[in-house]
Amino acid sequence: MKQTASTRAALILLQILLAIFVLLPFFWMFSVSLKPPTEPFAIPARLWPDDPTMANYVTAFRPEFRTYFLNSLIVSGASVAITVTLGLLAAYSFTRGQLLVLTALMSLVVLAQMFPHAAIIIPIYRMMRSVDLLNTHASLIIAYVSVTLPVAIWMLRGFLMKLPISLEEAAAIDGAGPLRVFWDIVVPLARPGVIATAVYVLIVTWQEFLFALSFTSTRNMRTLPVGLNDFIGQYGIRYGELMASSVMVSVPVIAVFFFLQRYFVAGLTAGAVKG
Amino acid sequence: MTAKDRWIIWLFLGPSLFLLGLFLYWPLVGTVIDSFYDTSFISPEPRFAGLAVYERVFAGRHFGDVFWNSISWTLGVVILQNILGFFAATLLNQGLPLQGLTRALVLMPFVLPGVVTGLLWRFMYDPQLGLINSLMILFGVVDDSAAWLADPDTAMAAVIFVAVWKGFPFSMLIYLAALQNVDRSQLEAATLDGAGAWRRLIDVTLPAIRDVVLVNIVLTLILTFNYFDIVWVMTRGGPQHATHIFPTQIYETGFGQFRFGEAATYGVVSIMVLAVLVALYVIVQLGANRRRRTA
Repeated sequence: MKQTASTRAALILLQILLAIFVLLPFFWMFSVSLKPPTEPFAIPARLWPDDPTMANYVTAFRPEFRTYFLNSLIVSGASVAITVTLGLLAAYSFTRGQLLVLTALMSLVVLAQMFPHAAIIIPIYRMMRSVDLLNTHASLIIAYVSVTLPVAIWMLRGFLMKLPISLEEAAAIDGAGPLRVFWDIVVPLARPGVIATAVYVLIVTWQEFLFALSFTSTRNMRTLPVGLNDFIGQYGIRYGELMASSVMVSVPVIAVFFFLQRYFVAGLTAGAVKG
Repeated sequence: MTAKDRWIIWLFLGPSLFLLGLFLYWPLVGTVIDSFYDTSFISPEPRFAGLAVYERVFAGRHFGDVFWNSISWTLGVVILQNILGFFAATLLNQGLPLQGLTRALVLMPFVLPGVVTGLLWRFMYDPQLGLINSLMILFGVVDDSAAWLADPDTAMAAVIFVAVWKGFPFSMLIYLAALQNVDRSQLEAATLDGAGAWRRLIDVTLPAIRDVVLVNIVLTLILTFNYFDIVWVMTRGGPQHATHIFPTQIYETGFGQFRFGEAATYGVVSIMVLAVLVALYVIVQLGANRRRRTA
């Protein structure tokens, strides 16, 4: 479609405004994180500190923060691995098993995406308490796997539906059993879908707050979002440190997202656009 | 797959079905059961109370607030997020310079953890130290420091704004994918027929992506209605209950005050409200589709 020069200039201006709207808070977070702890806050706020320093990062990287980080890493890492594995197995069954009952089960999986976590958390909390799992990594991993599975199955199912079934049929004719076919043909071909789903589970679990807040009670079990939220009460509001911590919490997941973005976008939109 | 190999379907499906049943469907039943029992901090043993808990919740001081807050929060975020998401998708589909980079950067709020988003914006809204008032004073929009989150009249709008900021990239992503499927030749034919940008949008683009709009709105409706982290971190439902929505109210009633029966009742009501919202929207859309087809 042809654009006149003035339309194009207006569109470029809009694009710049959109970028500023999105990026200004990020810029501000970064700028405040570099402010020397001794430099008082300017009123009105200044966009860039006079003397940028990493001091806030050094202070913020205290032992508790490292514990939170490790907890988040364990919980998210395990959730990603388990959800993707179970999701792929389930998606394979949903796409390859031609049984009527599977259609009904798939509707139940889709419906489960709708459940408000706040509305089901208390019974889950009680179950965890009765088997003595509260305040453990396991309680969070179980909860995270359960709540991310429906979307993971849905994404992977959309993906497996698009794989050519002829390869699997050919392998079956050559005498490969169903497990062989799954492992040698489906798993390698599903890699982009697996990556997309893994990114989704990582984004969700890295920031999960409600379960982590309710299920963990001691500092050595806190994950990053809860630890960050505690920050306010604990140290008054030291914004420089808070913003430095925020940057450190956000960078890993933003970095992963940027590297694997194209997989994620393809995986998510395949399902959504197909409906 | 031969009938002999059917066992593998159930072997592969088993773990997922077990987890979904035990940790999503069974707790849902548990919440419904809990909502008929009374518990409190003083008497933690649940006692059967029938519909008494519902009566108490409905008659309670805060039920109306929570209900209407949830509605305005959900509608506000969903509508604004989809409009902005669609606008951004259209804009970043024009082949302007740096389009790829801008698309990638615009996605950043979507990945930013909710708690970080809440804390960052709480700071942005700070009456003295925050960037928003500083900019507004600089540009002469306000001459006095406004306490956006502390004022019951502005708190909800302020929180909605943040949720839209974080949520619109997700909608943009889905609209961008949908726009790739719009038939270029139809758009060009419409242009030749003298249709302006607005007519092309209404007559060609929107009908072509109708299904995606439906999916997108239902998805964002569910996600928004069930939101917890940003609201909790920014306002904890305050000031004066002005931003309490179902999830924050349930959390506070259950884990804050140990009134599990009432929390469960709020939970059941919230599921019903959400189901009604989704059903209403889908029915309206399907009705509109049918009229369109018969017209």
